[in-house]
Amino acid sequence: MTWTCDQLEVHLSDYLEGLLQEPDREAFEAHAQDCPECAPLLVRVRNLMTELQSMAEVETPPRLVYSILDKTLGPRETVSGWQAFRRFLGGFASLKFAYGAASVMATLIILVGASGTSLRKPKLADLSPTTVYRNANRRVHRGVANTVKYVSDLRVVYEIQSRLRQDQNELQVTPEDNAPKSSPEKQPGQSDDHTRVQPKQQNRANEIGRQLQMLAAECPVVLGRNFR
Amino acid sequence: MEQDAQLVQRCLQGDGSAWEELVRRHSRRIFNVCYRFVGNRTEAEDISQDVFLRVYRTLGSYRAAHGGFATWMTSVTRNLLIDHYRRTKRDRQTDSLDDAMPVVENKESAARRPDQQALVSELSGQVQSALTKLSPELREAVILRDLQQLEYAEIQQVLAVPEGTVKSRINRGRIELAKILQQMGVRPS
Repeated sequence: MTWTCDQLEVHLSDYLEGLLQEPDREAFEAHAQDCPECAPLLVRVRNLMTELQSMAEVETPPRLVYSILDKTLGPRETVSGWQAFRRFLGGFASLKFAYGAASVMATLIILVGASGTSLRKPKLADLSPTTVYRNANRRVHRGVANTVKYVSDLRVVYEIQSRLRQDQNELQVTPEDNAPKSSPEKQPGQSDDHTRVQPKQQNRANEIGRQLQMLAAECPVVLGRNFR
Repeated sequence: MEQDAQLVQRCLQGDGSAWEELVRRHSRRIFNVCYRFVGNRTEAEDISQDVFLRVYRTLGSYRAAHGGFATWMTSVTRNLLIDHYRRTKRDRQTDSLDDAMPVVENKESAARRPDQQALVSELSGQVQSALTKLSPELREAVILRDLQQLEYAEIQQVLAVPEGTVKSRINRGRIELAKILQQMGVRPS
C-alpha cells in the first residue's frame, strides 16, 4: 500500500516515538524515502524534537518564591528604611567591634610603617612590591643597628658610672682628712696648705677626666643625654 | 522526601512551612511552562504568581485520588495561560486556532531588525521565538510533551481532551514548529 503525504504527516510523531506498528511502519518509511517533500520534513521534525528535549530550563527569578509567599502567607516581618539602617549601624557599636577595629588599625599602621610608605605624600610607586621590600629591609637593618648601638652605649655609661663610683669611694676613704677645718688665721684669698689634694688623688682625677673626654668624643649623644 | 499530598494536608491544617516547601518545589517548573508559553520573563513571573495564588485559594478542592498534585497545578497553569492569551489576543497577530499557520517574518524583514536577530542568536532562542508563533492549543501540547516531558495520560488530564486529540495536537504542533523554523531560516542540527 502506498501512503500519501497527508498520511505521513498524520503519523509522523507516532513514527518518531516508535509507536507505529507494521505494516504502517513499512509504508511510512517507503513513502519518506521516495517523497522529496516528506523526507526533509521528517528530518526537520526529528531534529526539532531533539532540540526541544535538550533545551535547558530557564532560571527562575530570585524574587519569585518570596513574592508568592508574600502574596499567599502575607508579608513577613521586615524592617526597612531608617530602622534597617539604624540596626545595621548598631552592629558596629559593640566593644568587640571596637577592639577588632583598633587591632586592624594598629596592624595597618605597623605594616604601612614597615613598608616605608609615606602617608603624607603617598605615591603609587610606594606600593610596588620591590619598593616595599627594599624599604622594609632598610628599616629592619636600621632598627637592628640602632638597637645594637643603644645597648653598646648603655654598657659604656654603666662602665663610666661604675668607675666614678669607685673613685668617689676611694676619695672618701678618710673623710675627716678631707673635711674643711676652721682656720682663724686664714685670710680671704689665701690658700690653705692643709686641705691641698694629695698627688695620688690628683692623678686619679686627671685620669677620670681624660677618660670622660675620650668617651665624649666616641659617643657624644649618650654622654650628652646622661651628663648634661 | 515528603509527598506533595502530605504537604497539601499540612497546608490545609495551617502549616505555612508546608506551603513554602510546595512553592519552592514547583515554582521552577511552573515558571518554565509559563515562560515557554508567553516567551517573556516578566509576564511569566506574573502568571506564575497568579498560579500559586489560585492554587493556594483552591487547595481544598485538590483530590489526590484524581491525580498528582503536579498535574493539578499544571492544569491550573494551563487555564491561566489560556486566560492570559485571550486577554492579550488583540495585541497579537496569531489570534485564532484557525491561524495555525502563523504569520512569520520572512528573511528580509528579519534582516532589517538586528535587535531581534541578536535576541534569537542561539538556536534555543529561535525555537522559543517560533514557539510563541504557534497557536495556543498546539503550543501548550508541544510544551507539555517535549519540554515538560509529560506522559500522554497526564497531558490528557491537564488539557481535559481525549488522548487522540492530544496526540493530534502534539503532532501538528511539531510539524508547524518545524515549518516556522524553516521559514525563519533556522535548521535545527
